[in-house]
Amino acid sequence: MTSSRIEELKRQRQTELKKRGNQLPYAIAATAAALVIYFALVKYNMSFSYYWIIGILLGITMQRSRFCFSASFRDPIMVGSTSLLKAIIMALFISSIGFFIIQYRAYLMNPSHQLKQIPGQLHPMGIHTAIGAILFGIGMVIAGGCASGVLVRIGEGYIMQVMVLIGFLIGTTIGARHFEFWDRILISKAPIVYLPHHIGYFPALLLQLLLLVILYFIADWYDKKNNIMSTM
Amino acid sequence: MAEYKLDCLYEACPIPLLKALKQLEKMAIGEVLILHTDHNCSIKNVVEWTKKQGHYIDYVEISEGEWEIYIEKAK
Repeated sequence: MTSSRIEELKRQRQTELKKRGNQLPYAIAATAAALVIYFALVKYNMSFSYYWIIGILLGITMQRSRFCFSASFRDPIMVGSTSLLKAIIMALFISSIGFFIIQYRAYLMNPSHQLKQIPGQLHPMGIHTAIGAILFGIGMVIAGGCASGVLVRIGEGYIMQVMVLIGFLIGTTIGARHFEFWDRILISKAPIVYLPHHIGYFPALLLQLLLLVILYFIADWYDKKNNIMSTM
Repeated sequence: MAEYKLDCLYEACPIPLLKALKQLEKMAIGEVLILHTDHNCSIKNVVEWTKKQGHYIDYVEISEGEWEIYIEKAK
């Protein structure tokens, strides 16, 4: 949506701008370098080559889509917009199905498996999860990005986020140093809840997908209903 | 009609959006706000928010990684 005045301002501004250089040669050079490194890794270390290519594809996806975890949780509260939150819910929907396939396969191959043998990150859940979430949430909103968002923006050349990365490194180091303390007082006492062991694999998947669909529709309704800032 | 300039260089998300909406509140209908930013998320969230509010908006990339967002207050 635009107006004649904005069109005029734009036209005026565009005539003042000097012509920018072509970035295509840089793109070709960077792609070629990435491929050379990929093939070198395939030869010397197969698993590193997976990390390399998945990392690059993830980075491109996050940069181009401006996928931002901190904005997705901040914008609903701050400006009443849930478009990114809906994207996160969709991503969780897809990855739930993907993880189900991986974990169900592991279950079929070894039906008497232990909790530790299930692929994925199964961790104790308790009050420490909430404490960590609040700390991380405050940090990421002030810093303007979560871990992946900060890295993507540093790659774009956004200098301020380098400061955030330094803080991030200090924080994770202190966190690792104090992990033993948290583990002793909270984490080791909390249970690992793995729903498929309680209600079965297929019901657990269906329950999770159903909850995500409900959350999606709530987010959609909230977006249409809410214009918090317009009342300020 | 007055034009207002807002310098949001080096400001992280969501400061450009907050600055823009505070400035828009002070402005009269038909006045234009020019927001100068180097944060590409602003292109997304300022544009999305402004459209939702019903104001006119468009933007120009004035140099690599720098944008000017034009907002005309419509109501």
